[in-house]
Amino acid sequence: MSKPSIKKGIDFIKAQIDAPVASFFSSCVHCGLCAEACLFYTESGDPKYTPINKVEPMRRIWEQEYTMLGKLKSALGLTKPVDEETFKKWETMVYDGCSLCGRCSVVCPVGNDISGMVRKIREGFAAAGYAPPDLIGATQRAVEIGSPMGVKLPAVKAQLRHLEEDTGLKVTLDEKGAEYMVLLSSMEIMNFPEYLEAIARIMKQAGKTWTIASTAFEATNSGIQIGVSDLAKVIVSRIVDAAEELGVKTVISPECGHAYTAVRWEGPNLIGRPYKFEVKHILEVLDEFTKAGLIRTEGMEESRLTYHDPCQIARKGGIVEEPRRLLNQIASNFVEMSDAGAMNWCCSGGGGVSANERAEEIKLTAFNRKKSQLDALKVDTLVTACANCRLTLEEGLEHNGMDIPVVGLTEMVAEHLVEEESVS
Amino acid sequence: MEVNELLIWARGPAFNMALAIFVFGMLLRLFEIISLGRKSDLSAARDSGLSGGLRTIFSRSLPRKTVFAREPLRILNGYILHIGLFVVIFFYRPHIELLGLDLAGLSSSVIDAVTVITILSLFAALLMRLYSPVLQHISTVGDYLAWLITLLPLITGYMAYHHLMLDYTQMLAYHILSVELLLVLAPFTKLTHMFSFVLARWYQGYLAGRRGVES
Amino acid sequence: MNTISSDMEFRQALEALSLEQQRYVGARFVTNVLSLSEDARLQQVVEAATSEGDLESAFKIAKRASLEAHTRCGTEGDWNDQAGYFVARGVEAIVEPQIRTAGKNPAWKAAMQCRMARTCLASESDEDTHDLETGAQYQLLNDYLEKVNNP
Repeated sequence: MSKPSIKKGIDFIKAQIDAPVASFFSSCVHCGLCAEACLFYTESGDPKYTPINKVEPMRRIWEQEYTMLGKLKSALGLTKPVDEETFKKWETMVYDGCSLCGRCSVVCPVGNDISGMVRKIREGFAAAGYAPPDLIGATQRAVEIGSPMGVKLPAVKAQLRHLEEDTGLKVTLDEKGAEYMVLLSSMEIMNFPEYLEAIARIMKQAGKTWTIASTAFEATNSGIQIGVSDLAKVIVSRIVDAAEELGVKTVISPECGHAYTAVRWEGPNLIGRPYKFEVKHILEVLDEFTKAGLIRTEGMEESRLTYHDPCQIARKGGIVEEPRRLLNQIASNFVEMSDAGAMNWCCSGGGGVSANERAEEIKLTAFNRKKSQLDALKVDTLVTACANCRLTLEEGLEHNGMDIPVVGLTEMVAEHLVEEESVS
Repeated sequence: MEVNELLIWARGPAFNMALAIFVFGMLLRLFEIISLGRKSDLSAARDSGLSGGLRTIFSRSLPRKTVFAREPLRILNGYILHIGLFVVIFFYRPHIELLGLDLAGLSSSVIDAVTVITILSLFAALLMRLYSPVLQHISTVGDYLAWLITLLPLITGYMAYHHLMLDYTQMLAYHILSVELLLVLAPFTKLTHMFSFVLARWYQGYLAGRRGVES
Repeated sequence: MNTISSDMEFRQALEALSLEQQRYVGARFVTNVLSLSEDARLQQVVEAATSEGDLESAFKIAKRASLEAHTRCGTEGDWNDQAGYFVARGVEAIVEPQIRTAGKNPAWKAAMQCRMARTCLASESDEDTHDLETGAQYQLLNDYLEKVNNP
């Protein structure tokens, strides 16, 4: 990342302003309903977290640069400038107090995509040097090492060895012509290695060939979290190059929220062209396999459980029914939280918030929303499909003395997998 | 200026100028938006952007349950305000004649009642704006200005109809002038939303439609 | 007396044990990797598992330990520290409350976490120490079964 400056920050924000952004600012009537959808506001009561307020610096720049009225007001000295003070003041609103969950975008009566604008404004803040140090570190590591958490290939290989020794399932790296290329998130590699085992067993049952690319095993993209498209592009390109070089049909995005958004939706726009392969989320794949009868499950979880929809997968990814179909097959007592599905409340840790130590307090405050949902439902188990949600939920639950185990959906499916030797 | 002259001027040249400024101003604002353009989305579409965009233009007119539960009064008041304005402007016979529309108007007493309700709803909106921490945090002078220029035609219209305070001719002149004030200033306030909301809903809905996600 | 030499046998033998016995054996597995964690609390928890101590509060401590030890999303991972995370998870497994463990095999879970802890150390290099841990676990189980069957 080249040297930051306020001027660069402002230029970057300017570059992000397009027709949609202009239509959003032109239509906002200050109704305040976006705040009512934002857990950072609802749980803290602090109006500065009102979503449209988070992008005020962008609005100023839009008005002053792209409207005649704004230019006139500027000339008459009637506008507020965007300067160092602005960046300083807004940094925590733009990063710490927003998980890019997207609820605000969906409830705005005039149709403003406010969370999309927060994503855009981060480009400017990062360029100005006003991004959380933790995120800056993660992005640097992602670019230099290949993983935001510094996970290198030997670690992945060690995991694969562990997998082979425990299950007898061999995974070949860089296998040309494999049907699927699996991406992993560092969080899973480091904290939830069961995920890899679950995938291996499921793929074996389904009879599908799959591989992991040694140059592109990382799915997450902290360039997206922090808002540095150049770096986001570098990270995505690795995946695209590997997938196209290996000639795989489908790339599977793991149980990680923003990885799906990064690879499925933003990737092609970052590299400037469509992919030569498909991208599917692991839940989409599991749903497909189940529907096609390629994998079967047996037995039911009997505990009273509910499913937490990761924002990037449900609301922003469109994958809402798949996890429910899967769960209904293996759980006999599946109940839904209020507002579940596309309107679900964020775990409080998305969008880089959980990686940002400075945001710990506001994050735990925001978690109270999830706490209320769970208190009302009284479940014994919480299932989700994002490694970050999982840990954020565990931390929040622990902080509040709530004893509810959190389980990954893919693992749960694997636990109920009917594994038979194939009849040859 | 003598009252009759004022009225003639208000009804004639002033109205034409105000309307021209309104039309030109709004077109300019829309042009300022659309001319910025937007990059095409290169990701593989799951569904239709067109149907997503069109659907969202209409579906956003209804609130989400979860937000309605938190602010039912604010939302209901918003409906009353907008529907009230719409009815009073387009279903009052003298207005229908003026605009040359082919509509059956509503009786004057209905319009009268709706006017009162709309004025009350504007005051309710003002109180909500003054007493909500969120709204206080984000409100600007522009919000209050937009409020005032929307209120004036309603009040002056009501007063004119009921022959209150001032002589009818005078009141009518002020009513028309207040409408002209609204027309002239609207393109330079948040009232641009009356047209730009279609664009905002379309842009977000289109992208959401392509991705097959909620919008 | 059959000595265990494969994972299938290992797992079946563990499954045949009672919950208490599993906790005990699990504790032996964990003790074998305890040095990989710097968290002093874990020792207490292991003791609680084997001595009928207060399992509920031991579990809470173990949970907190593993949460604190995990690598946060986006932070720089240190595999040596991460070994401690897996040790904590192994400890968690042996004091998990009965309701949660119904139908599951806590000793097997603990064994896997312990192996993962050992694997962490190998993550920075290309060394393969995994087998060492597996072998050690087979030995621990064999010893235990011998004692039980030949008191």
